[in-house]
Amino acid sequence: MTERRPSALRFAFLRLRRGWTSGELRVLVLALAIAAAAAIAVGLFTDRVRLALESGAGEQLGADAVISGRDPLPDAQMTALRETGLRIVSVTSFPSVVARVDGEETQLATIKGVDAGYPLRGKLLLAREPFGATEIAPPQPALGEVWVDLRLWTTLGLSLGSKLQVGTSELEVTRIVAEEPGRSGGFGDLAPNLIVNAAALPATGLLGPGSRLQISLQLGGTRAQLATAEAIELPPGFRYTTPENAQPQVRNSMDRARSFLNIAVLATILLSAAAVALSARQYSQRLRDEVALLKVLGARRAFIRRVLVLQVLLLGLIAGGLGAAVGVGGQAVLANLAAPVLKIVLPPPGWLPLPAVLGLVLLMLAGFALPPVLASVESAPVRVFQRAADRESRGIWGIAAAVVAIAALLWLQAGSLKLASFVFGGALLTAGVLALFAWLLVRGLAGIRSRGGIAWRFGLGNIARRKAAAVAQIVALGIALMALLLVTVVRQDLLATWQGKLPLDTPNQFLIGILPDQVAPLQAFFKARGVAELKPQPMVRARLSALRGTEVNAESFEDPETRRWINREFNLSWTSSFGDDNEFVEGKPWGGEARGKPWLAVDDYAVERLKLKLGDTLTLDLAGTPITLEVRAVRKIKWDSFKPNFFLVTPPGVLDADGLNPPLQWIASFYLPREQRGLLRELIREFPNVTALDLDAALNQVRGIVDRIVGALEFIFLFTLLAGLVVMMAVIEGSRADRVRETGVLRALGASRRVIRQGLIAEYAVLGGLAGAVAAFAAQALAWALAVGVLELPYGPRPLLWLIGTLAGCAIVTLAGWFSLRKMLNTSPRTVLAGGAA
Amino acid sequence: MSADASGLKPAVIVAEKLVQTISSGGEQIAILDGLSLSIAAGETVAIVGASGSGKTTLLSLLAGLDSPTSGSIMLAGQPLSSLDEDGRAALRAGRVGFVFQSFQLLAGLTALENVMLPAELAGRADAEKLARDTLAKVGLEARTGHYPYQLSGGEQQRVAIARAFAAQPEILFADEPTGNLDAATGTKIVDLLFQLNRDRGATLVLVTHDMTLAARCGRVLRLNAGRFDD
Repeated sequence: MTERRPSALRFAFLRLRRGWTSGELRVLVLALAIAAAAAIAVGLFTDRVRLALESGAGEQLGADAVISGRDPLPDAQMTALRETGLRIVSVTSFPSVVARVDGEETQLATIKGVDAGYPLRGKLLLAREPFGATEIAPPQPALGEVWVDLRLWTTLGLSLGSKLQVGTSELEVTRIVAEEPGRSGGFGDLAPNLIVNAAALPATGLLGPGSRLQISLQLGGTRAQLATAEAIELPPGFRYTTPENAQPQVRNSMDRARSFLNIAVLATILLSAAAVALSARQYSQRLRDEVALLKVLGARRAFIRRVLVLQVLLLGLIAGGLGAAVGVGGQAVLANLAAPVLKIVLPPPGWLPLPAVLGLVLLMLAGFALPPVLASVESAPVRVFQRAADRESRGIWGIAAAVVAIAALLWLQAGSLKLASFVFGGALLTAGVLALFAWLLVRGLAGIRSRGGIAWRFGLGNIARRKAAAVAQIVALGIALMALLLVTVVRQDLLATWQGKLPLDTPNQFLIGILPDQVAPLQAFFKARGVAELKPQPMVRARLSALRGTEVNAESFEDPETRRWINREFNLSWTSSFGDDNEFVEGKPWGGEARGKPWLAVDDYAVERLKLKLGDTLTLDLAGTPITLEVRAVRKIKWDSFKPNFFLVTPPGVLDADGLNPPLQWIASFYLPREQRGLLRELIREFPNVTALDLDAALNQVRGIVDRIVGALEFIFLFTLLAGLVVMMAVIEGSRADRVRETGVLRALGASRRVIRQGLIAEYAVLGGLAGAVAAFAAQALAWALAVGVLELPYGPRPLLWLIGTLAGCAIVTLAGWFSLRKMLNTSPRTVLAGGAA
Repeated sequence: MSADASGLKPAVIVAEKLVQTISSGGEQIAILDGLSLSIAAGETVAIVGASGSGKTTLLSLLAGLDSPTSGSIMLAGQPLSSLDEDGRAALRAGRVGFVFQSFQLLAGLTALENVMLPAELAGRADAEKLARDTLAKVGLEARTGHYPYQLSGGEQQRVAIARAFAAQPEILFADEPTGNLDAATGTKIVDLLFQLNRDRGATLVLVTHDMTLAARCGRVLRLNAGRFDD
């Protein structure tokens, strides 16, 4: 007779092979897989974006480095730059409205005038038809030609040879830009693009004062040359950009999107963890008999422990694999949703997030599954005779493991302690409030229980009898449904409320770059066409040089947003009559009497950034002339009036005083009905330098972007809903043996299958309805807080939301309950007599 | 009071002054009240008594599944009090077999795997062969791949008996082995149990209500309120 150690792994396999059919293990694996899938989907997707940003950054910038500003680089610096020996290609870009010469439609576009050799890095690919074969572009477009991107091509209905009105020039469309480096500017890059020869720009008449030029010098060369260039001291307003610090918008937007997605993933993980803990506990109860028997047959504790740990690890592997498969598919959905927004080509998914997700699965197992499962090792062998012989222990360790695991999961997934504690606190608070509400509702059921048939009483009786389980299910499902309601119904509702609040004639067009001598002709132009009375406002640019008598620059401030603001030029205006979209918080509005007084009415944004109070002085550099102004009033501006407004406003006769000649332009907004869009074409012809911004189109574009991000969020919240349903299934599994026995008794007593089925439906319909109502209540409360507290919108009860929430909860939960328990309906009355469980 | 083996064979089970008390509602209740016994190798002993007389408690103490409140037990030459739970499990592995009233088969394992289990836990490399042979002896060679739920009550108990004998134990404990079976099946199962026991020469200790079954044993011990009747 040879001896060998019994194989724990073999036994773990054996156990799983059939044990797999036990409901609680399936629920456990499902819960882990859902958490893993959500984490992998978001992990892989954000990793792809990160890779895209890092690997292709040089190409996306179109150069090794770029110096950009609103003016041409002064001669001194230009000479120094040339001396470095770097290759330099200049790109001048600015927004302007363009139109097809033979059409009605107009479109705001970014016009790019390029030198020969554009771009320095990466490839500019052109096509002759949308999505057609591409070719590498010649050094620059010929004079009289224009290359347009696909969006402009589509919006204006262009074809090869179409004539495009660009300012006063008519240019021929010769190619479509299929791919362009540096055109991946992120969420902010809204307008379509067209490329012309830089030498063609002066003839368009668009380069006059007031045009919003952005002049970029693309640099290409060796590291040493670039280092020399970087050392050149640039005048204020110029920026040296390298691939590393490029695309802050994409990075910022991604960071923000990742935070949102991570919150959704965290909610999914927390719910899944609850399901794992519940099902592991049930599994552990069932294991106790088996462990006792194994001990009777001679198994030692170490062996049993090994078997159980291996078993749990095997389950983790199965769940991880399942989750990975679904997650990889999920990240493709996210990438598809986000691709049009990001405008970058994503590399294929890498492997980096997979170990992290394996860690997540192991952590969930270690924190929520192993402690209860291992507790069964303590089961006494005498349990084969007496069930009461159990020793309960590990309670404290189990709780400690769960708390540590929750903390670690939150930290792992959120990446920041602050976000993690915020989410955890929020989750606890939400769960607490929902639990209280759910408990009240469940208690309230007692009143309606006696009304109705036997099935109804039986179903509601089940809820009343398992109050704690019912509350747990309502909370778990309520959280998931609430998340979904928030991103779908409530978001649309808030948007509609906000839009409904805007008057019908809210301006939808902005005119910028109006020259002083164009103000009167422009007003006459509008009057002649009976559109609207145009009230342009003057605008000058100035730079802050001293605050409260002390010289300041960007470095004087800690706050990065203030630094950015100071680095740009301030836009100032003057007026003697403030509109009703200006609410005076401190000080009073002035009238004509204030003319020439060095006063300043500031917006609360400026107050926050510069910590201003009444009486403070600001010294501004107005085209070389310093001018000191005193803060006399603080205003709160309603920006959604869509009228031109300024952070800093003076009385008339200050900025336009004799002797001061700052570059001046006027801006205006007006409402243009859809059917009168043709007017914009006439406008470009007569005032080519004036840029019309179509707010409707811009808003639609922003909305499109938001929809995409929300779509991604909705997608991840589906996993949250699944996790909520898995919690419900875990609770169902916990009561399955009881239910089977009860069903057997009922059947033995003569209840028909139909009555039992109706009872089941009644129970889950009510449970789901309550979860939906709780979710709607919570979503409504959050929406109300958001509307009244943040958006300042009137917001009342929304009966429709309650109805949608309740009905959705009802339908989803009834289906899931039915799915879980349908087999139970077939319980034969014999099972009761046989004393067994199916 | 004690019950002694009459033959010359060495005792494989010796219990001295066994007391087992439980507390119920703040009161100490004696389940076993200072009983002693000795069972020789190869002996067949039936423990009979009314419900609640302490039969099953005695069985679980003798098998080392639980520890007595006081008193000592020697099992296969080892004092149980000197062993911890793992030590007692190691002692049982391969040397002690069990047959239960409710069969106690693992639902996740096939008949063969259930029968292999004790031999595997005892570290026997020939576990599968032993299991197949024993299953053949109980007439279930055709059902080795079946799961417990695919077997009738009588078949399940035959698998349980095969499991009890497969590792060739020295001692077999049986708790109401026919309690869950009809009379005809019960008789067949008992025949099988005694036949295998004869073949293997194991010591058999069984607890039963059934006096016909008890009468087939070499010795009958009557438990009454925690003591043996004279």
